[in-house]
Amino acid sequence: MESVLVGLLIFGPILMGVLAWLAPGNRSRVLVVVLGAAGLSAVGVFTAWRGPFDFIPSTWLPWGPWAMFALEALEDVIITYIGYRLASQAIVVCGVVQFGLTLTEEYFRFQNPYLTQAPHFMVDPLSLILVLIITVIGSLIAVYALGYMERHAHHAPSSAGSNGRFFFFLMGFLGVMNWVVLTDNIQVFIICWEATTLCSFALIAHDGTGEALASAKRALLFTAFGGTANMAASAIGMAQFGTGDLTGLMAAGAMVPITLLCVGALTKSATLPFQSWLLGAMVAPTPVSALLHSATMVKAGTYLILRLAPSFTGTRLSDVLALCGAFTFALAAGLAIGQSNAKRVLAYSTISNLGLIVGCAGINTPLALAAALMILCFHAASKGLLFLCVGTIEQEIGSRDIEDMGGIRFRLPATTIITLVGMASMLIPPFGMLLSKWMAIEASIHSPLILMLVVAGSALTMVFWVKWMGRIQTVSYHPEERLEKLPPSMLTALVVLVLIVLACGLAAMPIHRTWFEPMVIQIYHGKLEAIRAAQSLVQLKAVSHLAIWPVLVLLGGAFLAWLGHRTFFKGRHERLPFLCGENVVAPDRFYSFYSLKDQPDSAWAASMYLTSVFSETKLTPWANLLALMILMSLFVMGGVTP
Amino acid sequence: MTTETIIRVLAALLAPPLIGALCFGLDRKITARFQGRIGPPVWQPFYDVAKLWRKEPMVLNRVKTLYVYLHLAFMMMVMVLLVLGEDMLMVLFAHAFSSIALILGAMSVRSPYSRLGAMRKIMQMLAYEPVLVLMVVGIALDNASFSASDIWVRPQPLLYSLPLVFLAFFVAALIKLDKSPFDVATSHHAHQELVKGVTLEFSGPYLALIEITHFYETFLVLAVMAFFWITEPAVGVGLAAAGFLGLIVVDNISARLTTRSMVKIMWTVPLMLTIINILWLYR
Amino acid sequence: MDSLVKSPWVVHYNCNSCNGCDIEFLACLTPLYDAERFGILHVGNPKHADMLVVTGAVNHRNSRVLRRVYEQMPEPKVVVALGVCTATGGIFAEGYNVLGGIDRVIPVDVFVPGCPPRPEAMIDGIVAALSRLSAKGRGQEVGPAKKDRITYQRPSDPAAEGKDDAAHRP
Repeated sequence: MESVLVGLLIFGPILMGVLAWLAPGNRSRVLVVVLGAAGLSAVGVFTAWRGPFDFIPSTWLPWGPWAMFALEALEDVIITYIGYRLASQAIVVCGVVQFGLTLTEEYFRFQNPYLTQAPHFMVDPLSLILVLIITVIGSLIAVYALGYMERHAHHAPSSAGSNGRFFFFLMGFLGVMNWVVLTDNIQVFIICWEATTLCSFALIAHDGTGEALASAKRALLFTAFGGTANMAASAIGMAQFGTGDLTGLMAAGAMVPITLLCVGALTKSATLPFQSWLLGAMVAPTPVSALLHSATMVKAGTYLILRLAPSFTGTRLSDVLALCGAFTFALAAGLAIGQSNAKRVLAYSTISNLGLIVGCAGINTPLALAAALMILCFHAASKGLLFLCVGTIEQEIGSRDIEDMGGIRFRLPATTIITLVGMASMLIPPFGMLLSKWMAIEASIHSPLILMLVVAGSALTMVFWVKWMGRIQTVSYHPEERLEKLPPSMLTALVVLVLIVLACGLAAMPIHRTWFEPMVIQIYHGKLEAIRAAQSLVQLKAVSHLAIWPVLVLLGGAFLAWLGHRTFFKGRHERLPFLCGENVVAPDRFYSFYSLKDQPDSAWAASMYLTSVFSETKLTPWANLLALMILMSLFVMGGVTP
Repeated sequence: MTTETIIRVLAALLAPPLIGALCFGLDRKITARFQGRIGPPVWQPFYDVAKLWRKEPMVLNRVKTLYVYLHLAFMMMVMVLLVLGEDMLMVLFAHAFSSIALILGAMSVRSPYSRLGAMRKIMQMLAYEPVLVLMVVGIALDNASFSASDIWVRPQPLLYSLPLVFLAFFVAALIKLDKSPFDVATSHHAHQELVKGVTLEFSGPYLALIEITHFYETFLVLAVMAFFWITEPAVGVGLAAAGFLGLIVVDNISARLTTRSMVKIMWTVPLMLTIINILWLYR
Repeated sequence: MDSLVKSPWVVHYNCNSCNGCDIEFLACLTPLYDAERFGILHVGNPKHADMLVVTGAVNHRNSRVLRRVYEQMPEPKVVVALGVCTATGGIFAEGYNVLGGIDRVIPVDVFVPGCPPRPEAMIDGIVAALSRLSAKGRGQEVGPAKKDRITYQRPSDPAAEGKDDAAHRP
């Protein structure tokens, strides 16, 4: 049973990807992807419902270790080759160093017979949460991509790859991501990690334009650098600590490898100063962005840090991660204010939230970890939804600039409402993101610097979300409002995802109480010194007792009052906006006024972007420098030991 | 839920707008006296709301009106959460969302004045939100609990441990109650900014609801000031009264600042005061 | 007590006035006259206002603005016309672009004569308009305002054509 589940989760999507590539026509591909997505989410939900288990393959062939070696070496060679083809010396160096590290790893591995045993799968609650996110949200994104890519193919540049290839990498990505979160063996972990790197490279480069290739190259460079750090960690773990498992490293308290793994994770989860690859990845088709930001890729990094967190409580590494994460949270939120490109705003918001997850892992108490898990889950659902919405809007209005999104409320009513729900779920109670931010602030009150950064970050976060929400719902009354016609696959994915977001949002506190609270208490059992553990548990209990019912009752009341007010205030009372009395009264000119020489002119006030402070060109170099210094402080002043 | 809880919740919903309206009336009266005028009767805010309620419910679109109800609902939520002794940080968030609802309502029409007012309201929130959050954190550090019910049972007044935070809160309260020099988004009384900015496109009963929310807000600000000396309620009320008088004096003697200088001032002096005070609590 | 009477919020529209009436109207708000003691607030936009206070003679260019401002006020509402220009066009009545009294554009409830009227007269006019506001609030019909002390009619008005015209020309 367990072997079947693990096999389905890992090889199911990969097989579906191959079938989608080989599929002769569009209709057969739709069939394959829809069936595959439905099956994959069913298996994912079933696995999560069934609960945690440990699994070691019962049959393990003598050439198994060699096969793993071959796979890893093959990936190194591919990376080197891509680097050579793209004329990037840095990537070539990464590839060669990785190859050397692979050889070193193998040298130590074959010296220790214990290390050549069958790789071990550890399916604990954390992995199950990730599996649930990857299978359900990832599948929905794949379904959405069916409609999106068909439209995309019409106006894509001639250099773009085929849609079959696109779906191969998209589905395959889900398979290797599942493998990343299910395995305990570091070598398998690294093989799959590199596979996600290569998948993301292929997906970002999909359009084949110069910009796409440059972004893909940058993504490959950053994540391959992280992969190199991971391989070094693996080699040191084998050589010095004689273990090839993550649990082994954690049990041994092997700080050097754990630190290297964390650095690898930071590159993947795009915290400052590694954020630029994720911003560049925005040139890819929108389903790719959605996938990279919500279900896969960046979540691999945060998953690794969350997994390792309990093993470094109270160390320098923990403090540095907390600072680095909180710094990323505040700075990325600030940078998002200065952006008018919707996808870049979403990207900075992702970076900011990933920073908060890392920061919470660095604070490293049960409450902080619970907050991190909340963000991980709710962010995945909401951000996946928002990317899909922005993709839809972009295809419909032909622009991804926020300032162009005023008035989409009557061009795309359904999409606008779904987008608004998605944004509200990032910001407003009773949705989970707000609760997790609240928990993060409460968890950080014992370290002043982190606290200040988190507080500043949440104020800045509020600014860019409210600005954007205000812009997209801008309307006056309009004579006609027609539902837009979207491809069924896109509409299905949007509706299902928004229902998931709503359900999770309303059930955020019960979810925390039922799953996250026992989970973090168990994770930290005996890991904290007595005072801190007691403190944090008291806080955790206090947080869990929050009564959500006043929120629901009052918001429900407000909504009912709004619905009821039509009957209370009878008649139509719509008027034009106040434009000093100079309104132009014509059916299509509700916002125009008579300007100079009695010429109609459009009334328009742009949003504030505060670019004198929050511009990328001014802020990014300093932010990167500071973040790099924070990271470097790991390696100076007494190393990584506590 | 006990009967006592229900009574407390009802009291928390009904009393604050009445007290807040009286305070607002006093504000207008005292301001008039400062300016050598007789001023309106103290009951004027009640007349205003009653009148607005009878006016035509003029709207620009239907969606907009939802946000007025949300504006009020979030503010009522603040009161309910406070009397139920819930987490103070959550109370603060509910309070922030009350303003956000108003901003979204103002932004949902393409009226340039109301949009400019909304943008400035966002800047106001950006300016005071960190101060308020840090104030709550300071209270929580001092109480060793985020729960609002624990604030009643304290051996000594909060003002002893958080004097600088009180000063910072005073400045934040100027923004909260739209007082000069920070009344950039909208203002009460007869001096308009941006033809009433954020509230411009609301009229009649919707404006009445916004006014009622403002009464809640006035009460809340004064209540928070009183909480700084809640060990002896009489002193606490005196503190709130002194603070309120201070707000009115500052309102009358200062000219309006730009949005930018407001954010700069808030993120330097009051925020630094708060941070210094909080760092002192960590010692 | 009728709440409409206790809190008249006023919006002021300058309809091409010579600014004499405007300065006198602003004097109403100063400490000397203190209109706020009657609950009168000077709001800046029609959306919040109960009462439209107009000064100046309406002309072709700004008549549509006057109409929009009036339309954008929520019911019930009253209009107070300050100064003789708002009644007849005053000294500008002969202007090629002047329409005359503002009652040609919007219904007026009270005319306050004078060039300019004294602030006391203005406050009196506003208070006089309150009974009409209250009546409108109760849904009663109120007729047009009386202009009994004003005899001059603009020549283009068919009823007054050719009568007083010559007498007023220099």
